[in-house]
Amino acid sequence: MSAKTSLLKVILLGDGGVGKSSLMNRYVTNKFDTHLFHTIGVEFLNKDLEVDGHMVTLQIWDTAGQERFRSLRTPFYRGSDCCLLTFSVDDSQSFLNMGNWKKEFIYYADVKEPEKFPFVVLGNKVDVTERQVSTEDARQWCQENGNYPYYETSAKDATNVAVAFEEAVRRVLAMEERTDHLIPTDTVNLHRKPRSATSCCS
Amino acid sequence: MAELMMPDSRRCTYFFLYDGSKVQGEGDPTREGICYFYPEKTPIDKQELLCGQLAGVSRCVSELSSSPVRVLRLRHSKFAIKMEEDFFWALGCSADFPTVSMCDLLDQLISLFCFYNGPVRQSYQENSRETLALHWSRYLLYLQTGSTELHHIFSCLRTIDSTHIDPLLLLKAALILQACQRCPLVLAGCILFRGRVVSTQMPPDLTVKVMAHETQTYNKDKKPNGVSSSAPLSRAVTSTTVHLTLSELQDLRSTTVDRESRSHSTPSKDNRPQRTCLSRTLSDTPSTDSHTDLETDSPDTPLKLDGLLSPVLSRGAEQSAARPTVNPLLFQFSESSPSTNRKGPRSGGNEEEDEDDSVLEKSYYYSFHSHGGNTSQADLQGEASPLAEASALENEPSATPMSDRRSGPGCWTPGQEGSPEGRAASRGSRDGRNSGGASLPRVGDKDRAVVPMTLYQHRVKGLVLALLVEPHFQRDTEAMEEVYHSSLASLNGLEAHLRTMAPGPPGPQGPYIFAHYDCIQNTLTTNVSGRAGGDQDHSFVRATSLLHSHFCNSEALQEAIIRSARTAVYATRSVAQETYFLQHGGVVRNSGVPNHQDTAFSLPSKARHRLLKHGVSLL
Repeated sequence: MSAKTSLLKVILLGDGGVGKSSLMNRYVTNKFDTHLFHTIGVEFLNKDLEVDGHMVTLQIWDTAGQERFRSLRTPFYRGSDCCLLTFSVDDSQSFLNMGNWKKEFIYYADVKEPEKFPFVVLGNKVDVTERQVSTEDARQWCQENGNYPYYETSAKDATNVAVAFEEAVRRVLAMEERTDHLIPTDTVNLHRKPRSATSCCS
Repeated sequence: MAELMMPDSRRCTYFFLYDGSKVQGEGDPTREGICYFYPEKTPIDKQELLCGQLAGVSRCVSELSSSPVRVLRLRHSKFAIKMEEDFFWALGCSADFPTVSMCDLLDQLISLFCFYNGPVRQSYQENSRETLALHWSRYLLYLQTGSTELHHIFSCLRTIDSTHIDPLLLLKAALILQACQRCPLVLAGCILFRGRVVSTQMPPDLTVKVMAHETQTYNKDKKPNGVSSSAPLSRAVTSTTVHLTLSELQDLRSTTVDRESRSHSTPSKDNRPQRTCLSRTLSDTPSTDSHTDLETDSPDTPLKLDGLLSPVLSRGAEQSAARPTVNPLLFQFSESSPSTNRKGPRSGGNEEEDEDDSVLEKSYYYSFHSHGGNTSQADLQGEASPLAEASALENEPSATPMSDRRSGPGCWTPGQEGSPEGRAASRGSRDGRNSGGASLPRVGDKDRAVVPMTLYQHRVKGLVLALLVEPHFQRDTEAMEEVYHSSLASLNGLEAHLRTMAPGPPGPQGPYIFAHYDCIQNTLTTNVSGRAGGDQDHSFVRATSLLHSHFCNSEALQEAIIRSARTAVYATRSVAQETYFLQHGGVVRNSGVPNHQDTAFSLPSKARHRLLKHGVSLL
């Protein structure tokens, strides 16, 4: 079981300019590019990693934050295993918009049980000195919205980036384990011949 | 997709490359000289017959006239001819395929070969005939398959159907290319999806060549490798050596963004032609000086004599061969008296022409016409007839050299080849594909010289990023990784977008058929669906083919209506575009005599009105 590599799709959502692409690039290629253009639509990179003995291919989907790219990005929400809600600590509006991002995701990803879906919250750009969002406010929001894990990251100086993505993986794996346990109770074994059926026909 | 494929008989029926240097003595068998022959199953004696006769006729005519032959016409077929040094190429098509398109096909084929293999002589010294035969057949196949008949007529690029994709994705593609150019070793690139152009920074003729490789690699490893992992750089990336002509290279170097310091040699920078690339990327938005180019040299109106004649003054004698001396100002609308047309300019103002030119010019228009109806070149008929009889292949055609402009470089507009001014001036017609001197009868060494470059390809399933890079890019691991990593995520994303935007079934065609050819970008927009078309589709394609030939042949022709008893096709062209339009239905009031109530006369306004919604402005 643990030798098998599973593909996990995580998606980065958040306002334009909060650093979603930079986070992805920092994590996968360990590079930081100050000249990145707006992402148009979606982009993604894969990264193989091992978390707690599980081999995982993490497929990180980076999305366009601008409203005008909405129709391009939303079709790709479906099938996500985890959603990384991202804001920038030097931009309070991006923090306030997180609720909308969460709603948009749940709607377009067609999440069946939103309260159980693994979200992780990232406060990016902690290298910037002028903060507009305090750690306390962010933690409180996470607490109130479903007890999401919160990480303060900086794609620029690589603070907490790997930790955050690995946490996302752990969340997904934990979710899967829980569902794995649930499966036997919920399923019907189609291979077993129902006795009553034969007697009925005769 | 079952596209409206041209039956094979309509396109290339024969193609061969004959090396005259291998057959020098009387006793040398012709087969020694045959480097490649298509169809390959043709019996060798038939191959010998065709090669020997065509080469012989062409050699003879070209020696008599001291200029190369371009087209040979037989009763049921015709041949585009190219002679260079000892090499002789012939590409045969059925008589109803436009001559212009046939010549384009031959030029494309040869330049495609040289792009991947380098100079012909050298590649035949380094490789076996068998190896290169494989290449010829591959290129021949590539140039002839996968497109619609209309695409073949215009020899245009296959582009993705932009009506089905978000324009933002085109922007995305353009930005990816631009980002790659941040690496100074990258000259230019293009992005292809399933064999179609999404975005390109290269001139159309170069894009076509780059696509050939893409198509081959795509067909080879069609099985998608699941998730494209970022780890092994080698799996998705290939590099191959290609050969660019000096002018192609100069074009690329001089127009690359922020690369002034790097452009090595552009002595004639000021009078360079404007780039003819698909300006879909931001980097390619025309610079101000190219606008000036356009204004001063545009042959928008054929009255601009200055622009048309300037090449004559500024060019070397050896290049003047490429300039048909027909002065558009004096060119007749009809082609009924070709000799007059030809002579027109002579008396009309090209006084500076030398003797050599006049000889050259004549021979362009030679062809062997089976019916012998046209005797406009009576002075030469005597010599030519026996020749053609000797060349009796299938029908013993009696030959008459005729000055049919279609047989000549009809598609060559004044001073087009190699001359910056000329090219700019004639961009409206056929520039792009003919650049680089590939089709020059007598090319200077500069035009024949090629420079090895590297074609870098990064494939993400059906999507390919192809970049022309400096040869040492391959050894520069850092640069390569930089380009790879900076584009990977975007390519992944673009692929996902394009894949999910599967083109839906084409909507109803509407009460009209149109084709819009962009001469600058070398692209075609049309609502003639790929599926087997009806009668009208076929008549439309035929009419388009005919009108396109006419446009290529006569500079001054701007609008035309061609009609049958049942239907009429309207065509109009400008410097940059050609548009063809057919209106379905409606009572055709065709009295046979010009009549103001004739429905055909309402076609221009209908076309203007209808095509606006396709983004085609005919105003």
